[in-house]
Amino acid sequence: MNFRARALASAFILASPVWLATPSFAERILRLDESPIGEIDPAKATDYADTVLAVNIYDTLVFPKAGGPGVQPLLATEWTTDGKTFTFKLKDGVKFHSGNSLTADDVVFSLNRMIAMGQGFSSLFAGRVEKAEAIDPLTVKFTLTEPYAPFLAALVRLPIVDSKTVMANKVDGKYGEFGDYADAWMSAHDAGSGAYKVESQNPQSETVMVKFPDYFLGFGENAPDKVRYRYGIEAPTVRALMSRGEHDIADLWLPPEVIRALAAEKGIKLASEAGGATGEYIKLNTTRAPLDDVHCRRALTYAFDYATALKILKIDDKYAQGIPMKGPLPSGLLGYDKSLPDYQQDMAKAKEELAQCKYDPKTSPLDIAWIAEVPARERIALLMQASFSQLGFPVKVIKTPWALVSEQVTKPDTAPHAVEIAVAAVTPDPDSLLYNMFSSKVPPTWMSAEHLKDAKVDELLEAGRSEPDEAKREAIYKELNTVLRDLAPDINAYEFTGVYTVRDAIGIPALEDKSKQTLDNFNLVFRNISVAE
Amino acid sequence: MSEPGSPVLPKRGGSKAVAAYFGNPLSVGGLLIVVVIVMLAALADYVTPFPDHVGPIGDFAAMNTGPGETYKLGTDTMGRDLFTRIIFGYRLSLIMAVVVLAIATPIGVIVGLVAGYKGGWTDYVLMRLTDVFLAVPPLVLAMAIMGFLEPTLMNGMLAITAMWWPWYARLIYNVTRAEAQEGYVLAAETVGASTAHILFREILPNCWPSILTKMTLDVGFVILMASSLSFLGLGVQPPTPDLGSMVADGAKYMPDAWWLSLWPAIAILLVVLGFNLVGDGLREAFEAEG
Repeated sequence: MNFRARALASAFILASPVWLATPSFAERILRLDESPIGEIDPAKATDYADTVLAVNIYDTLVFPKAGGPGVQPLLATEWTTDGKTFTFKLKDGVKFHSGNSLTADDVVFSLNRMIAMGQGFSSLFAGRVEKAEAIDPLTVKFTLTEPYAPFLAALVRLPIVDSKTVMANKVDGKYGEFGDYADAWMSAHDAGSGAYKVESQNPQSETVMVKFPDYFLGFGENAPDKVRYRYGIEAPTVRALMSRGEHDIADLWLPPEVIRALAAEKGIKLASEAGGATGEYIKLNTTRAPLDDVHCRRALTYAFDYATALKILKIDDKYAQGIPMKGPLPSGLLGYDKSLPDYQQDMAKAKEELAQCKYDPKTSPLDIAWIAEVPARERIALLMQASFSQLGFPVKVIKTPWALVSEQVTKPDTAPHAVEIAVAAVTPDPDSLLYNMFSSKVPPTWMSAEHLKDAKVDELLEAGRSEPDEAKREAIYKELNTVLRDLAPDINAYEFTGVYTVRDAIGIPALEDKSKQTLDNFNLVFRNISVAE
Repeated sequence: MSEPGSPVLPKRGGSKAVAAYFGNPLSVGGLLIVVVIVMLAALADYVTPFPDHVGPIGDFAAMNTGPGETYKLGTDTMGRDLFTRIIFGYRLSLIMAVVVLAIATPIGVIVGLVAGYKGGWTDYVLMRLTDVFLAVPPLVLAMAIMGFLEPTLMNGMLAITAMWWPWYARLIYNVTRAEAQEGYVLAAETVGASTAHILFREILPNCWPSILTKMTLDVGFVILMASSLSFLGLGVQPPTPDLGSMVADGAKYMPDAWWLSLWPAIAILLVVLGFNLVGDGLREAFEAEG
């Protein structure tokens, strides 16, 4: 119930709690959707919707920086580091939804809970933090096992939970004195300090959130009183709801054709994330002939039809679901080099490279897989087939379900020659993206379907994570980006830029003003969104 | 009824049935639809404007074009001609229906004949087995099978066949039970005819009208079932054109690119309707004859 309703109720001197049951006529509601489910326990969050929920229900020590790479303060006011230890001062007077104060103990508890439960983004911290301790109620110190610069950025994935509320709701479980760490309870309730608190939660259909009036950063003008975040609505339904003005912000996964049709309707506008975190990579298996020869790989990167791929993603002159890349690093991360040329198709250069390749394309068939769950990828697969066939390769296109692809790509022998997989930086640090893709030390996953083993790349990746100085790190990642461009383990097809379909009455400052835009997925901050009547 | 031992259809008085069939405008309409669809599917390579659009081809300049001059019914999300793909989709659906029925009918008929004529334990075992298959909803059974196997055309046909034969077993069982008591069967038994002779030369010919009618009706239903499977993503794999997948893929673009789903849906409607009308017509014709 919002303030206005409350004021109105008291003005009429209604006996409480009658006004509680009376719907207020001026309530501002924000309705949006994501697919397919929404997990509100921050220790289990992995997906797009989960991140939006965590951002609004919980707070973190630091937040992805607006208008550039890196982080900015949120719960932390300042911090110091020597590369191996990180000490944070916390903001005084921050309250959880329960009324409890947020202290250093809660930070330590949240980290321990996430590592113990071992789900969600716990791999960012597990084995990395030797010790987390509360020096005093507003000072927390992390000691790492070894110097690790990306730790600071990783903290955007550590939402702080109210330890007292969690402990009050635990049941017996496998974590000793912590019971089940309120594993079950936390998937249905919140223990956060964020601007919105959970009113009701059904992970398959909807999370309803209401304003937390005591939020320490306050609210923007006309911020929603209530947010209905719905899951798993089919594209035609979202489209129909938008048309009728019964939905405010559509999810990012509508086909470009549908977005274009909606944008043409009265009362609907578009807003776009600038991108910067997600690459759409066509991962080339660098261990299988003929792609174990760098020249054959380069030939493919020259042959790919980038312009048509981007054209497919285009909505209108201003908006598109993708932008060109300049190497494996997306534009929002440290080390991105604006001066490099965009990739573009060049069949002459492709043939030049092919001439230096030790394999004859005619006798080197290529398998291209596309992930069955994402029909739009069929288009990219067909594009590859068309251009690679021109070079003389016999090409086979195979539709493969994700469960099978994610298994196949972990083994060099079964990974297809080429498969398009989107990989996003989950923290505002290039290490969170590139290390998982290219380090030969990481056990193979779907992120490393290239199976690249390169000493120079390994050296730069290690240097990047142990170097505490920001300027030096930038130089390291710039070099790494260039080295990877030459090695061509991927066709860097395009950078994903999510386009939201938005009702005119809704204002999303973070998407309308580039200087306020932050890492993809962190831009839907409900307290800054305005809902006009 | 035909005389005992006649190999196929009743020879005598067939004209009565033919007259009954063609006297019904609905049956004639059905036949017309079926003939046209079968002809189009058979000659797909010649009657379609873009036969190469069946393969892995993308023309991204022309994707999602509405019905017009070049593409009479519009193009799909890859820029391929919908008319071409629907006709080839028909071909695939018809092949599928023929193969499924060509396997399911003999299995079901033999099980039904043996169980109905032998009785006793044979009857009990065979018909309870049939009941087990009948007890599972057909689409669920097919989905379960497809869940285990790779989704290919062959496996799709296998899954549908597995759920189809019990219906024939049940139908022929009932007919056989009735026929087994007829004088001509008893006469054959008395003169010492073999079981095989009685089953296939005496009883089977009298089952033909029921089998034919059911098969005709079933062509439509098999196509519908195959479409349902591929609608759920368990059928034929792209780029092979398949009517059910076309409806499913296009649904995301409704209502703006309405042609993506509407034409394939109408195509399914037409073929199912056509075979149903022919099936109904045949049944009435056989009844008129009987």
